[in-house]
Amino acid sequence: MSGVQPIPAPSLEDTRLAFLLAEDRVGHYPEFRAFLTRVFDLDRVGLAAPGYLRAPSGCAYALVFIGRSGEPFPAGVEISAVLPALEPLDEDAADRDLWAILRWLVEGTGGAWSVTDLDATGRLYRIAASA
Amino acid sequence: MTTHVELPQSARAAWPFEPRCARVDGWRMHYVDVGPDGGGGDPVVLLHGNPTWGFLWREVIPPLLAAGHRVIVPDMIGFGLSEKPTREQAHGLDGHIANLAALLRGLDVSNATIVGHDWGGPTGLGFALANPERVRALVVMSSWGWALPPSDFHTRVFPWRLMHAPLVGPYLLGRHNVLAGRGVYLSVVDRARFRQRAQAAYEAVLPDPASRLLTWTWPRWIPLDEGARALDRFNWIEQGLRAWKKPVQIIWGRDDDVFDREKFAGRFKALLPHAEGPHLVTGRHFLQEDSGPEIGALIADFLARLGSA
Repeated sequence: MSGVQPIPAPSLEDTRLAFLLAEDRVGHYPEFRAFLTRVFDLDRVGLAAPGYLRAPSGCAYALVFIGRSGEPFPAGVEISAVLPALEPLDEDAADRDLWAILRWLVEGTGGAWSVTDLDATGRLYRIAASA
Repeated sequence: MTTHVELPQSARAAWPFEPRCARVDGWRMHYVDVGPDGGGGDPVVLLHGNPTWGFLWREVIPPLLAAGHRVIVPDMIGFGLSEKPTREQAHGLDGHIANLAALLRGLDVSNATIVGHDWGGPTGLGFALANPERVRALVVMSSWGWALPPSDFHTRVFPWRLMHAPLVGPYLLGRHNVLAGRGVYLSVVDRARFRQRAQAAYEAVLPDPASRLLTWTWPRWIPLDEGARALDRFNWIEQGLRAWKKPVQIIWGRDDDVFDREKFAGRFKALLPHAEGPHLVTGRHFLQEDSGPEIGALIADFLARLGSA
């Protein structure tokens, strides 16, 4: 279990989006794009609203989807933490949350992609969040 | 001046070359150009791949200089001390070949030996096939020059395809710089020596996640199936190699597990039956880290034989 759940749009009053990760080519392996499209109903929602996830730390994360002319939507995605407007990021907690979001993404994408392999990759490269 | 990063002391000592800068194809490219004044020696162009930079060739250069050659070592756009675009769409094989063409035409290079490692292979081969009048010979090592099939290593989900998968690539290779750090470390023979003498130099030139974009972008350009980008370009390179008659040398690491020597050095030999080698040296994928002086001497000897032929 990744401990990550899609959530409705949280209140953004007195918050800021702290940019963490950008992916210009979310369809490089198309099954990743298909999973995100399914979870966030992107064929219907399009660019109208970000998707949101609740991560293990309790923090909400916004997934802002990017469109590019001539390419299937979404072409890319940015992940930002939803933080109190004037508070700095807890980098270690955010890194652990990102790892959990990747585990959720890989588990949901399925097929040839497995959390077991992702965790092994994290251990091979000594990613603290994967320990 | 070119550098906007602080090289560690150990790297500065091992990389004493004057930095040069050229505007190529709309980008700022760093390179070194050393050897006989006035370009008296036939140039040897050393091309690195992912995620390295010219530093990879630091121990290959001295034997070539001692043999009287001019040595040109560019950092690919996106690596080393060159400009690093921050969008994936800035990168492609054709663009990198054009970048190299701009540099070498700007230097009016002729009678050059093009030496390619990893992505320096397809890039350099593409330049050579498009500009044969400027090229004397080719040297290839731990690389490839055809569309399919890829190596077993590159088709496996763990660790290769997962490492650069959507969002995983920007996390592992961007936020955590794993290819320039532990990735290279795992692909040399003498890891303790590498850690002590070189690892910091590869990590230092990729200081921030945005600066590391090409480390996860390049893996996505390696063709894995018939729908891959650049498939036509790789097929063009393979066809060109089949017709290539100028001298070629093949050098490979005995323990290369990224581009298996039997399959990949063997395929180069099949495409280029007149090629010299493969010469096997101590090394894995980053063979220059274990056998730099030997590789430099092999290339110098190869060129000396051509000169007396």
